[in-house]
Parts: sequence; C-alpha cells; structure tokens
Amino acid sequence: MQYLLDTRHWILGEPTSITSLLVAHLRITAISVLIGLAVAFPLALVAVRHTRTYLPLITVAGILYTLPSLAFMALLIPFTGLTATTVVIPLVLYAQVVLIRNIVAAIQAIDPWVVEVGYAMGMTTRQVQWRVVLPLALPVIVAGVRVATVTTIGIATIAPLFGVPSLGYLIFQGFNTSYADQVMAGVILVSALAILTDLALLGVQRLLSRGRRVSPATA
Amino acid sequence: MASITFSQVTKRFPGADRPAVDTVSFTVPADEICMLLGTSGSGKTTLLRMVNRLGDPTSGQVLIDGVPTTEQDPIHLRRGIGYVIQQVGLFPHLTVEDNVRLVPSITGEPAAKSRPRVEALLRLVGLPPAEYRRRYPSQLSGGQAQRVGLARALAADPAILLMDEPFGSLDAITRGRMQQELLRMQQELHKTILFVTHDVDEALTLGDRIAVLAEGRLVQVGTPVELLATPANAFVRRLMGADSIVRQFEYLPVTLALDAAGVRPHAAESITADTTLLEALLRLIQSEQPALVVEEAGRPIGHVTLGSISRSVRRHRSGVQA
Repeated sequence: MQYLLDTRHWILGEPTSITSLLVAHLRITAISVLIGLAVAFPLALVAVRHTRTYLPLITVAGILYTLPSLAFMALLIPFTGLTATTVVIPLVLYAQVVLIRNIVAAIQAIDPWVVEVGYAMGMTTRQVQWRVVLPLALPVIVAGVRVATVTTIGIATIAPLFGVPSLGYLIFQGFNTSYADQVMAGVILVSALAILTDLALLGVQRLLSRGRRVSPATA
Repeated sequence: MASITFSQVTKRFPGADRPAVDTVSFTVPADEICMLLGTSGSGKTTLLRMVNRLGDPTSGQVLIDGVPTTEQDPIHLRRGIGYVIQQVGLFPHLTVEDNVRLVPSITGEPAAKSRPRVEALLRLVGLPPAEYRRRYPSQLSGGQAQRVGLARALAADPAILLMDEPFGSLDAITRGRMQQELLRMQQELHKTILFVTHDVDEALTLGDRIAVLAEGRLVQVGTPVELLATPANAFVRRLMGADSIVRQFEYLPVTLALDAAGVRPHAAESITADTTLLEALLRLIQSEQPALVVEEAGRPIGHVTLGSISRSVRRHRSGVQA
C-alpha cells in the first residue's frame, strides 16, 4: 500500500507515474475497443443480412480469440516492431467474437412487428433505423462492449513487454527490482480499473435500457 | 371522410401456386366499419396491407377517395392512415406518451404541441393520462397495451383506420369490452375502418358491412343482416352459422318477423325496430303479452308475436336451403 499512497508516484508529468500509466492504459483500451467496434459493426451487419456468413465469421473470430496474447504480439514484432500497433492489432481481433455476437444478437432480438409498425406509421427507413432499431439494439451492444472492454483492460497489462506503457509496467518493474509493493500496486490498479469500467458501462446499459430488462452479454 | 375502393385487386407472391388475393372488387363507404372476414390464408391481411402500401397489388388498384394509392407517396399516405395490429407493436423503449405521439413526432411536431391531443386520446381509449402517460409498454396489461396502440393509430387524426385482428390475443371479456368501446368511439370519430377478423361474432358485432373472403376471392359483401338472411352460398352460410337459430336471434332485427296479419292486438308494450329477435323474444316472455308493438322513430310499424317470430325463422331456414 505504501507505493500507492505515496504522492510522488502520482506526479502528472512523470512518464512512469501511476497517473501517466493509468492514462496510457485507458488510452490503449479505448483505442482498441473503438477500432474493434468499427471493424465488428460492418461485419455484424453483413452477418445479419446474409445469415450464411455468420458461422464462418464467428468461427474465424473464435479461433483468433484462442491465440495466446503474448505469442500473438511477439509474432507481430517483425512487422510492426515495438509499437502500440503490435499491441492494438491483437486486442482489436480478440474483441471481435464478443462484439460481433452481441451486435448480431441485438439486431435479431428486435421484434419484427415493432419495425413493421414503424414503417406502417410512415417512418422513413432512416427514421426506423435511428429511432427504432438503434435504440433497441444499443443496450445489448453495450453489454458486449462491457465484456470486450474488461478483457482488453486485462490483456493490455502485458503491453510494456512490447515497449508500450500501461499499468502492467508497475508489475514488471516491481518483479525486476524485487519491489513487492510496486507489484501489488499494479495488480490492485488493473483490477480496480477493470471493475470500475465494468460498473460504469453497466450504468450506461441501464440508462439505455429504460423500460426494458437489462440483458446480459451474449458471449 | 374517406372511402376505400378495391378495383380488380390481385396480389401474387413469388413461389405461391395461387394468388393471395384474386381479382377482388368492392367499396368501403366513408365512415363505415367494414369487416374482412375469412379463415387464415384467405388473403384478408394481404388485402388490408395494400391500403397503406405495405404491399402493392400485382394488378388492379386500391383507391382512396378515387385516387390510386400507387400514385401517392407511401410515407405521406401512411401518416394519414392509422394501423393497429394484434401484436400491438408498441415501441418498448418509449413511454406510453411518446408511443402515442409517434406520428406527430416523426413529422417534427414539438412534444409540447401534441401534449393536449395525447392526453385527450388516452382519455378516449380509457387510460387516465396522469396514471399511464409515463409508463413503459412492459408495465401494461395486454388490454391496456392495445388501448395505447389504438390511441397511437388515432394520433394524427387519420380518416382511415386499418385494424388487423387487434383484439385477437385478448381474453374474451376484455375483447368484448374493447369491441363495445370501439363502437362507442366510432360514434364520435366517424373513421373509415377496415377490420380484419376470423371471428364471426366479432364481424357481426362491429361491422356495418362484412366482406367474406375465401382463398383470396371475395365471396360476398353485405350488411350482417344480409349475410345472415341471404348467404350467397353454402360456404358463407356455414361460416356465418346462418343455420344456427341462436345466431339469427342474436343478430337479425325484429322487423324480419312482423306479423303479416293486420290485426292490432291490445299490446301494452312497444319495442324499437332495431331490437334483435332474441331481445324481442325475451320481452315477449317477460311481459306475458301476446304481442309487442314495433316502433320506428316513435311510430308503430307493426307487431310481433311468438307465432310470427317462429314463422319467420322457419321461412328463413327453408329459403336458405332452397
């Protein structure tokens, strides 16, 4: 606890301070999940429209998910070197299974009669998509984002092995210098970050689910 | 005020061996409730969905006030036609109020402006606004949800209301109540209502006119009395249960059973011309009178006796079978 409570370890400008590492960790997570969503969304829409593509798509994403993260990132070093790209590519790919599954499930779970009534009342296609389909699908999509984000926060811990800063730095540095308190600080911070992010996204999900049951992720 | 005319309407779906709707022609006069009655697969829903262009005819035309629907922009057309379905289809993420003001809202009307109308509509369908306005669909019973569905369909004050088995999933008591309330509302609303049902009693209760469909074809169209009294063929007779004395008593008016003899007995009690045979019979039994005077607009037009009622039923049955 000493390490965590020492204000000198929280100095803003310091590149290895807790504050800087926390920001770096959040940044790599946010970038990975956002790119992950940008990739998963069109793929999921294709899978909804052409149901035959769903199985191959989810199978490939599932196989990618089984690759060990350390090995995956190491394999990328010859191509992308010790850069954030080496860390982000596997994180984006890992998130695909849960994101694609949830986006597809979210859209398929929408009552077709509700969409029919939307058109029957004189909504344009755009109005049906923005006022009916999206608000109904969002809670389930966010449920998937929750799972993907927590997973990403966990894996991003190993980023420092590839020269990319994250809270994992405290753990590796602590090991190297036999500084148990620093290791503990890293473990506590990563866990706390994962739990708090999960709760925050749960809050978002609740807010979006007004009038309905809060659905768990399809994973 | 809007009439709906089906002119030689045919609808084929790819891969089907016969048309879903086959050269159907008839007119629904403005302000009437017209029931589309038939078994499943008779094409009644397909016919209904062509009015608001959820499907267009393969050939033929649907005309509203003489204008073919295919010449109108579907978005604009649909905003002027109310739509109520058995599945209700309320938007689960919107409150009752936001569901009702859906059509005004998609045309860009601010919430404050439609508020009074939303409240009036909720009162009309029997839901006190203060209690129900902020509820979500998941907090409503089946009957309440369908009342909201009806209010939503009426929000833009459409001249036409399309209803596809709207009370089909409600229990018998709620269904009966909703039917009576629809009749009550129609007295002030005067909409042209096209109502799909497979329930003969519902058709007889609600319809000013009933169009009987079978395998995509129009078999007969007429008033409930016409369908019961002069079914076009054996199918309509069986469907309507025109052979059933109970059903005739329930829906046929007493004017079909006036005593031919011009003798006017000393009848103490009178009934109106729109009384059903069943009510007339019960009144006769209760009053212990030999005859009742039948009045139309306050003037006596004849009288009925137990004998005249029984003769009319016998005459009617032999006429049907001939």
